[in-house]
Amino acid sequence: MSPKAIQYRANSIIFFKGDISDKVYILNSGKVSLNYIDIETGQEVHDLIKTGEFFGVKSAFGRYPREETAVVLQDSAVIAFSVPEFEQLISKNTRIIMKMLKVFSNQLRRIHNQVQNLLYTEEQVNPETGLFKIGEYYLTNKRYHQALYAYRRYLVYYPSGVHSSEATKKIETAEEYLQKYGQGKGPAGVSQKSTAFVEKPQKTKELSNVAQQYYNAVSLISQQKYENAYSEFKKIIDQGNDEEYLAKSRYEMGRCLFFMKKYEDCINTFSGLIQKYPTHPDLKDALFFVGKCYQSLGDQVKAEGFYNKIMTMISEDEPLYRKVKKALRSVKENV
Amino acid sequence: MNGGNSMFTRFGVTFQKGDIIFCEYEPGDNFYLIQSGRVQILKIMGDIEKTIDILQPGEIFGEMAILEEAPRSATAVALDQVKALEFNRENFEILMQGNPQIALKLLKLFTKRIYDQKRRFMILTLDDIEARVADVFLMLAEKTSSDMEGIDKREFATTIDDIAHWAGMSPAKCREVLNHFLVQRRVEIFPDKIVVKNINDFARFVSSKRKYQE
Repeated sequence: MSPKAIQYRANSIIFFKGDISDKVYILNSGKVSLNYIDIETGQEVHDLIKTGEFFGVKSAFGRYPREETAVVLQDSAVIAFSVPEFEQLISKNTRIIMKMLKVFSNQLRRIHNQVQNLLYTEEQVNPETGLFKIGEYYLTNKRYHQALYAYRRYLVYYPSGVHSSEATKKIETAEEYLQKYGQGKGPAGVSQKSTAFVEKPQKTKELSNVAQQYYNAVSLISQQKYENAYSEFKKIIDQGNDEEYLAKSRYEMGRCLFFMKKYEDCINTFSGLIQKYPTHPDLKDALFFVGKCYQSLGDQVKAEGFYNKIMTMISEDEPLYRKVKKALRSVKENV
Repeated sequence: MNGGNSMFTRFGVTFQKGDIIFCEYEPGDNFYLIQSGRVQILKIMGDIEKTIDILQPGEIFGEMAILEEAPRSATAVALDQVKALEFNRENFEILMQGNPQIALKLLKLFTKRIYDQKRRFMILTLDDIEARVADVFLMLAEKTSSDMEGIDKREFATTIDDIAHWAGMSPAKCREVLNHFLVQRRVEIFPDKIVVKNINDFARFVSSKRKYQE
């Protein structure tokens, strides 16, 4: 077997969407279009292949069903390669591989972001706490080397993070146990928590108390206990001693009200937030909730106004973008 | 590996047995090509450790670092003494230019990742949560060998947490959906596996929901 030159007449099909095959093609002359439905917009897309361009590469490589139908628009000449033939050809030409790597990594980046956008609504572990918890896991299991790695990395990335003073303590504990008992032996470090905490300076303790309170309340939201969460956030605000958590809590209160379907209260809370913190990091999300509230209250016009406002502030790769677009569509359907 | 030695002096790193190469949730800058030794890819879920994969020499891992500073989605641990080439966004082009074989390998890996992500996107765009869970099983079925075709009953060595992850929902919500399927006698749930009684029934269910959405 060797690469084959094939002639196609106008209006013929080189492959159909769904076909499985190991053939990779290069267009020598003529005009070929790849037709497919864009998974995000649902629109039919026609991509013209340029002369000299490869097509069918990904599906052939992975032996996946073809994602497009390749339609011949004008009489064309193509060369068909098997995957091994294709690999042999490009392995002599790094320039082609690099070009493809760039195209593929852009595609990967794009689809990766699209997936992340969809995951946005679900409660995701915050990476800061996630990393700290890995340290906790290893310390509990007496794997001090691994625990040290995780805690130290934590301090590199979050030197003044929520768990930083705790991480510092735990590093001392892990080092001590490693020296005293050795890897895999000794008391589990995490259970020493109560004693290790006694010597903590007062100020950091207060700060982390607020943080603790805040994260507890956030976890109440994920358990769908919105009313409890709401009153916890309210407590943090009433204590009023940490500006960062004040702003964060006010935002979360708005979210609780939304989930409790108290739309008018929700609008008031977010309007207050937007006025008080015009640079709040969750500003766009706050606006989105306000739009959602108006929509639930049946005021499509106001809802649309808020969604349009967000569209002027947002870029396409932000998580919220797709949600706002979807919301705008649903508003238009209901007008 | 060809030219391994000179490459290793420039880009090589060595990890001792048991070393963490990177940790889940860490921002990722580097990706690796294993030259010798094995690497375990794992996730820590609560109090348990779950092995996702064990990688051999010649394999690449951590490649999502090429994208952006997204946190690592799993932890990589050296199972033996591991020698690896360390790449990053800055040096990978230079490295690839002299090593078409590595570049080709990366190209194939990207192909797979793009496909997986697209498939996941298809699952997540289903509005109906039952359809989403059913579609996760369809995806898992697609990954098994093609000689299973025509067989209705399928077993999946998976857990509710895994399904929840793919379906983009909380484990609690996922459990609810699966319990409903259980009542309908569409699935059987075991500690180490989930049995789908009729995969074609799931396929019809998902495609009807997908059509309805369009």
